[in-house]
Amino acid sequence: MPVAASAIYFLNLRGDVLINRTYRDDVGGNMVDAFRINIMQTKELGTCPVRQIGGCSFFYMRISNVYIVIVVSSNANVACAFKFVVEAVTLFKSYFGGAFDEDAIRNNFVLIYELLDEIMDFGYPQNLSPEILKLYITQEGVRSPFSSKPSDKPVPNATLQVTGAVGWRREGLVYKKNEVFLDIVESVNLLMSSKGSVLRCDVTGKILMKCFLSGMPDLKLGLNDKIGLEKESQLKSRPSKSGKTIELDDVTFHQCVNLTRFNSEKTVSFVPPDGEFELMKYRITEGVNLPFRVLPTIKELGRTRMEINVKVKSVFGAKMFALGVVIKIPVPKQTAKTSFQVTSGRAKYNAAIDCLVWKIRKFPGQTEPTLSAEVELISTMAEKKSWTKPPIEMEFQVPMFTASGLRVRFLKVWEKSGYNTVEWVRYITKGGSYEIRC
Amino acid sequence: MAPPAQSQRSPSPSQPSGKGEVSDLKMQLRQLAGSRAPGTDDSKRELFKKAISYMTIGIDVSSLFSEMVMCSATSDIVLKKMCYLYVGNYAKYNPDLALLTINFLQKDCKDEDPMIRGLALRSLCSLRVANLVEYLVGPLGLGLKDGNSYVRTVATMGVLKLYHISAATCIDADFPATLKHLMLNDPDAQVVANCLSALQEIWSLEASTSEEASREREALLSKPIIYCLLNRIKEFSEWAQCIVLELVAKYVPSDGNEIFDMMNLLEDRLQHANGAVVLATIKLFLQLTLSMTDVHQQVYERIKAPLLTLVSSGSSEQSYAVLSHLHLLVMRAPILFSSDYKHFYCQYNEPFYVKKLKLEMLTAVANESNTYEIVTELCEYAANVDIPIARESIRAVGKIALQQYDVNAIVDRLLQFLEMEKDYVTAETLVLVKDLLRKYPQWSHDCIAVVGNISSKNVQEPKAKAALIWMLGEYAQDMQDAPYILESLIDNWDDEHSAEVRLHLLTAVMKCFLRRPPETQKALGAALAAGLADFHQDVHDRALFYYRLLQHNVSVAERVVNPPKQAVSVFADTQSSEIKDRIFDEFNSLSVVYQTPSYMFIDKEHRGPFAFSEELENLSIGVESANVASAQRVEANDKDLLLSTSEKEETRGPSSNGSAYSAPSYDSSSASLIASQAPSELIPSNQSLQAHAPQASLAIDDLLGLGLPVAPNPAPSPPPLTLNAKAVLEPNAFQQKWRQLPISVSQEYSINPQGVAALTTPQALLQHMQGHFIHCIASGGQAPNFKFFFFAQKAEESSTFLVECIINSSSCKVQIKIKADDQSTSQAFSDLFQSALSKFGMP
Repeated sequence: MPVAASAIYFLNLRGDVLINRTYRDDVGGNMVDAFRINIMQTKELGTCPVRQIGGCSFFYMRISNVYIVIVVSSNANVACAFKFVVEAVTLFKSYFGGAFDEDAIRNNFVLIYELLDEIMDFGYPQNLSPEILKLYITQEGVRSPFSSKPSDKPVPNATLQVTGAVGWRREGLVYKKNEVFLDIVESVNLLMSSKGSVLRCDVTGKILMKCFLSGMPDLKLGLNDKIGLEKESQLKSRPSKSGKTIELDDVTFHQCVNLTRFNSEKTVSFVPPDGEFELMKYRITEGVNLPFRVLPTIKELGRTRMEINVKVKSVFGAKMFALGVVIKIPVPKQTAKTSFQVTSGRAKYNAAIDCLVWKIRKFPGQTEPTLSAEVELISTMAEKKSWTKPPIEMEFQVPMFTASGLRVRFLKVWEKSGYNTVEWVRYITKGGSYEIRC
Repeated sequence: MAPPAQSQRSPSPSQPSGKGEVSDLKMQLRQLAGSRAPGTDDSKRELFKKAISYMTIGIDVSSLFSEMVMCSATSDIVLKKMCYLYVGNYAKYNPDLALLTINFLQKDCKDEDPMIRGLALRSLCSLRVANLVEYLVGPLGLGLKDGNSYVRTVATMGVLKLYHISAATCIDADFPATLKHLMLNDPDAQVVANCLSALQEIWSLEASTSEEASREREALLSKPIIYCLLNRIKEFSEWAQCIVLELVAKYVPSDGNEIFDMMNLLEDRLQHANGAVVLATIKLFLQLTLSMTDVHQQVYERIKAPLLTLVSSGSSEQSYAVLSHLHLLVMRAPILFSSDYKHFYCQYNEPFYVKKLKLEMLTAVANESNTYEIVTELCEYAANVDIPIARESIRAVGKIALQQYDVNAIVDRLLQFLEMEKDYVTAETLVLVKDLLRKYPQWSHDCIAVVGNISSKNVQEPKAKAALIWMLGEYAQDMQDAPYILESLIDNWDDEHSAEVRLHLLTAVMKCFLRRPPETQKALGAALAAGLADFHQDVHDRALFYYRLLQHNVSVAERVVNPPKQAVSVFADTQSSEIKDRIFDEFNSLSVVYQTPSYMFIDKEHRGPFAFSEELENLSIGVESANVASAQRVEANDKDLLLSTSEKEETRGPSSNGSAYSAPSYDSSSASLIASQAPSELIPSNQSLQAHAPQASLAIDDLLGLGLPVAPNPAPSPPPLTLNAKAVLEPNAFQQKWRQLPISVSQEYSINPQGVAALTTPQALLQHMQGHFIHCIASGGQAPNFKFFFFAQKAEESSTFLVECIINSSSCKVQIKIKADDQSTSQAFSDLFQSALSKFGMP
């Protein structure tokens, strides 16, 4: 038997129901009490996102200050349920204009009820594509509270497309200026041991696009990835150009990408949705260029003093620079006083997270600023347990740099009316989970 | 939607009572109802919004029903939607009023705007009022033929809703056949997907009663239908793809070529952005190639990268779901991820549940080539601030040590843990060192040297203490201080709360005595004396046993207590391969997360304890118990069951648990006897047992498994207890009997939350119990405490049962005291009562 959700609840942190929708009668209305008593009010909360209580399974997720709970009474597909919640939240966000929290829900509850009706029927997910839903769920989000004018009649042929085959694009779009924006956004994850060896390192990247194109354009994207290049040189029967080629470990595409063509020709071709979307995601573990090296030395001088030296080295091109660099250096809980010197940026002690937070707004390539700090500790009577140090964490953004080395070789737009398009390509690398043990 | 009943029960203190507001609203709505002035819709909207916001926070606004319906004559679609929502919420509780809405909903079903047609049809089907189904058939029939696909998608789901309200109406109208036609021919993919979902559900439910339905269910897996769906796979939405792939996974292709065709067609699904689609595809590939070993391996290679991507992308909840599946796969093919172990290194900020699964993955993928790195990493976590994770990491190191041949380095690491001088680290490590010594006695020398330095005062956790004591006893001759440490522990006998520790203490001191008599004699005497005076049955019995053994003959005692030991080669696996296979069959579902086949957590609920007591009768005959398995929707596979038996015999732990489980059929002493003589006869009950004792511990004390919640029945196969439907008892007679009779059963257990929720008034329970021929004589109390006095009479004789039942609705606990004329059947009655109570509030 296929699996359907019986109910969905939105709760605030106190456990009050903000909105709920029961899709099937096989669970009682008291499910939320069961959740409150057995999960929210116990230490269980947060230990496992799937719990069984009295024959029903609860899937829950916390998003900002809201718990979203799905209740099922059968052997449900877990991955699907969580994905559904994530997608639903994305959808709500696109309606509310960004934020999803308790207030947003309270202010938009009618809209959410409407959406909950459309995205799931009798527990089966239906259509969660914002593009399509926005055609006929016309109530505006609460961005302007006075705009409760009677809504326009739905676009006459909207329902035709509600479930149509090219679900992601409407026909008959017209733009004066045809533009495509393409961003390659990579986030670098690093785990470095205290001895400076890389334990784990990978890049998860995504290609984000924003299309303002008329008609039904066909786009073709070429990257400097290994498989694509090899296939091309094979097709054109000429040796591939020398230069860096990137090996992608795994790629996933937006549903608009013609996967059959990707598998046969190794090119990414697609009819894009209108507006913003995520074209593809990829993962790379080999040959990652780390943008920063962090070299910490922490010395404990006796029981009440510590000396911390951190050197951060930027290893990207000298003409580039990183923005918004934040380095969090852990210090013990019983820190009393700190004093430090930095060669660049500003640092301060944040007692709430037990860290020295060092911020450098603009960080040029090929430089190595340092921080040296002296930490005084409150002497405690407790036994001399050695301090278990959390890792140093780092956040940053490096524009025009890709840790993987991935580049766009071409982006072709073809439409039958033959208009000209302007293409914009940007690269940016962000710090994902960038941890250095010390 | 929150039913009004519930909202009255637990209004949040911050919320208004709503009485005044609701009547205000009623007035305003009434004024607007007839008005056609411009701007009316705007004001209506505001009022509707208010009504719905009250409804959402749990204020009962059902009194507005007629006003809301009157105001719904509008062309404004948002207003309509709000009205539908309101009606859908309250119709179920106001069936008469719901009739009012039928008219306008039916009219809207014929509206020219497809949007409104669809919405109206959806609302009409969501009323869930049984006596209105006749009004559904017409609009549904039209909806299924509607020219607009949106209306059709709604109508297909509507058929399923109708089926759940009234199956007969749905079947009589021949809707399933219409759905089947649509599924194969409709141009819209979502309609097709909804038809498939609806048909799967309808036919699965019908299959138990109708031959034709079960044929139809099989037909869903026929080649034409599967191909029809597969050919359109790209048209389906990502969610519908999951449903289709799930169905196709059950299809049995005729030959290898077909398998390859299907895999070629679907390979690109592995690149889909939706993780659920990827998992569904993986399941399909694995199932297709089960019989083709080589290809199956290639499939593993192919799915590796997408799975690893899924782990690292998405929210931690999603990672959790995927990691559970990875864990299942890695248990089947450990070599698969052995070079990718770095993906399972924990990040500092990950939530506990992800870290825990990652630790399990690291344990599972460890082999000769990567053990060093993995153990090094795990040691990092052992020093972690997060104590639960530190503990898990140490356990993981231990598990790796137990599965490796070359444990030299690991033993050193473990011993380093002991030097960290953190209580929890020491505790976990001691347990592990004990297990290691049982498997690799050759390491005793190094271990004992370090363990000997640990002060027993720093070890507080029972498990760790027991482990330390075991080592003191086992290696008494190598540890200088053993007798003295034991002695000091025995001095504190009274402060030792854990029976497990006391049991170990007895055994250890006994072993120590046999090796170093002069030093231990005093301690032994003290221990035996304390043991004999112990209030714990097992401790007392063991002390007495040792005492008599020593009295009888010391050399015999030596042979019994201190025989030469064989190293344990393999620690018992808690799950049989049969169970593991079944979980694998249910890939991409909750079974994998719970690590239990679905029938254990789904069927049990539907079976209920009543059916359970009937099964116990079957269990008394070993062969018949296979029937039980099949009753649990297990395609009984006797061969598998036997296989799992032979695996189990080596350890006995689970098998004697099995005997405890079926103990009701025998008196308890003979049960264990029979179990030890012919465990295979009783084994099949293990399946249900796993749910009770998923991690059958190997400690000797648990072997008897007496803690299971099945009370023994005296007679070999007791006649089923039937109750008199029309029992009568005067209140005075009841009181008199209650005073005279002794309590024969006193129990405490929990009831399901559904039952508690239904218990808004005591009357609800009374009616329910009356349905089970258990009558109430007095009741009272208010939430959360209710008290009831029930009575019942046996059908064939005038023997009476009296029950005092106290229900605490906030803790879901029930206390019952049963008094009976015929004490021998009171346990059977207790079971009956419990089963009747547990069905309370179930839909």
